[in-house]
Amino acid sequence: MRKFLAILVCKLGRWVGRLIGKGSSMPGQAALKICPDILSRVTLPAHIIAVTGSNGKTSTVEMIAAILRANDKTVVYNEEGSNQIEGVATMVLTHSNFSGTVKADVLLIESDERYAAHSFRYFHPTEFVITNLYRDQLTRNGHPEWVYNALKPAIYPETLLVLNADDPLSSCFAIGHEKVKWFGMDEIPGDTHAPSGAYRDGAYCPVCKAPMEYDYFHYNHIGAYRCTGCGHQKPKTDYTATDVDLDSGRLTIDGDVSVQLAFRSIYNVYNILAAYAACRECGVESAAIAGVINNYILKNGRMQRFTLGAHRGTLLTSKHENSIAYDTNLRYIASSQAPCAVLVVVDAISRKYFTSETSWLWDIDFDRLNFPHVREIFLAGRYANDLAVRFSFTGIPGEKWKSRIFPDIREACAALAEHGDEELYVVTCFSDRDKVLSQVQKEAM
Amino acid sequence: MDIRIVHFYPDLMSLYGSYANVSLLRRHLEDLGCAVRVDAVRPGQDAELSDADFLFMGAGTERSQQAAARDFARFGPAVKSAAADGTAMLFAGTAMELLGRSVTAADGTQFDGIGLADFTSVQGSRRYTGDVYGFTELYAPAAVGYINKCAVISGVETPLLTSLNMGFGNERECGPEGYHAGSVFASELTGPLLVKNPLMLAAVLSAVYARRGQPLPAELPSYPYEEQGYAITAQQLKLRSESKH
Ligand SMILES: [Zn+2]
Repeated sequence: MRKFLAILVCKLGRWVGRLIGKGSSMPGQAALKICPDILSRVTLPAHIIAVTGSNGKTSTVEMIAAILRANDKTVVYNEEGSNQIEGVATMVLTHSNFSGTVKADVLLIESDERYAAHSFRYFHPTEFVITNLYRDQLTRNGHPEWVYNALKPAIYPETLLVLNADDPLSSCFAIGHEKVKWFGMDEIPGDTHAPSGAYRDGAYCPVCKAPMEYDYFHYNHIGAYRCTGCGHQKPKTDYTATDVDLDSGRLTIDGDVSVQLAFRSIYNVYNILAAYAACRECGVESAAIAGVINNYILKNGRMQRFTLGAHRGTLLTSKHENSIAYDTNLRYIASSQAPCAVLVVVDAISRKYFTSETSWLWDIDFDRLNFPHVREIFLAGRYANDLAVRFSFTGIPGEKWKSRIFPDIREACAALAEHGDEELYVVTCFSDRDKVLSQVQKEAM
Repeated sequence: MDIRIVHFYPDLMSLYGSYANVSLLRRHLEDLGCAVRVDAVRPGQDAELSDADFLFMGAGTERSQQAAARDFARFGPAVKSAAADGTAMLFAGTAMELLGRSVTAADGTQFDGIGLADFTSVQGSRRYTGDVYGFTELYAPAAVGYINKCAVISGVETPLLTSLNMGFGNERECGPEGYHAGSVFASELTGPLLVKNPLMLAAVLSAVYARRGQPLPAELPSYPYEEQGYAITAQQLKLRSESKH
């Protein structure tokens, strides 16, 4: 009876919520109040795929959903990205019938890495994709090993782990776990043999803290690692990017599946690999997956085109407090050849929480902008001075940025509108992007 | 002046941009005309501390901290005699805990600090995170920063920040934070705390000069980005600490 009531309340709440255009986790929250173990009393699809990690989870989940749906599987997933237990409950109950059966082939869940243990107490994923674990939102997450410890209880013996072989930390989830499939990348052009980045989280083994050696680095500390102490190392991969050419945007998986990249970033390659592995494990043929990926355009708008004065601009959405997301966008700008200007905005550090914590600026490798084609750099937002201190420790010539520091974002945009006609790249976070987009003419996506 | 900085475990103890403390101190010393050498010490490497002008260790994960502690034990006597000799040093984040008598990990295992100071640290499964707005006896304006730790530190008699309006101190909310005695500075304020606090940097610079028997030059170069960055953060945190009461 309580189960029926909880489902009813959730469905009603969802209906009301839709009418007034509000919240995706409230109905589930109400249902959990009525019946706290409701999630263990429902009948779930045969495949429950969970995706978590510091970077790429939304893109990976969207790609998995697109592939499965194109292959005639019904998929229920939290498209609104409400990824704590209340959001998961809302999604499950609104898609179940009144006896509590979710009629779908796959339940797909993007899960917050810190709350997964809570969300998966009442039911366990059949496939658990972990994209990576590294420095991300440390104000809330503490540090990557703290997140690892928080995620560990969400992993049950019957779950198949789909893990990134190239990440020394998240690969540790395989220790003592039987069912594991690995995705990863062979050595590719553009790899380095020396580490890059402002810090070296690959210097020491996450298992025993002995020094690690690398055969190659794909980016930051992601690559082929080998511990000199305990032997923790990049495992043999089950799903492998065997040929990656970022210049032409071509990718080959397992030596025979060719994919054309819509977005030529190494990041995107990992998201594709993770989605490919998860879908193969759900029984989708490789050619069918490639067909979808080839026609796939990222939905979540991390890149927005616009004009500002005589500039044509691209907004590259990063995440504040996530240095690797920043590094990726800086790498993208570095690889562009045409003369350009760059606007970096740090105004509100978090969307949800107030904080003045700016330590993460020191983890970003801003020296990646030290190229002749990057003509000028504008630093804007409340923490523009903190950005300026950080930039004063790069090799970037001062004349490119020192007279372009604007605590007021509108003034930075006005200055850009009046001056110059180069390509413009804006690097900022979801929390600050609209402050820039309100000052420009957006192009249709 | 020739200045030698010893940076312990720059890769192992490197969370929250800890390294920026060394970068900034180095720049300010160079701007004062000093020739600065920074020697990194990695686990297993030897280091001579008796002629060092500044010792630094930054924040690490709890497991990195344990690895650092295993190696750092052999430097205990040398660090203590350097402190007694007036050598300036900063231990930031979890490195602070290594100066005390012992650290108890969340699983209950205990390991020794070097015992330079008489405090103990007990780590748990709760993490204390949040902005900090507080005061020190070294200067009048506020100190700012961020706490990100899982340890409660007991037995500090001479804290670096004597009162907090906001943030978790050594052992309680708004309690005193860090450790300071003579030329020894320690704080769980994470990351580039000397960048965030220009006056704290000046205090460390004075300590470096004092050990060499020299006063800081009366005219110091100005650093507008650092000063304005501090001013904005201090203003933001002051507003918020007032709205909390
Ligand atoms: Zn190892």
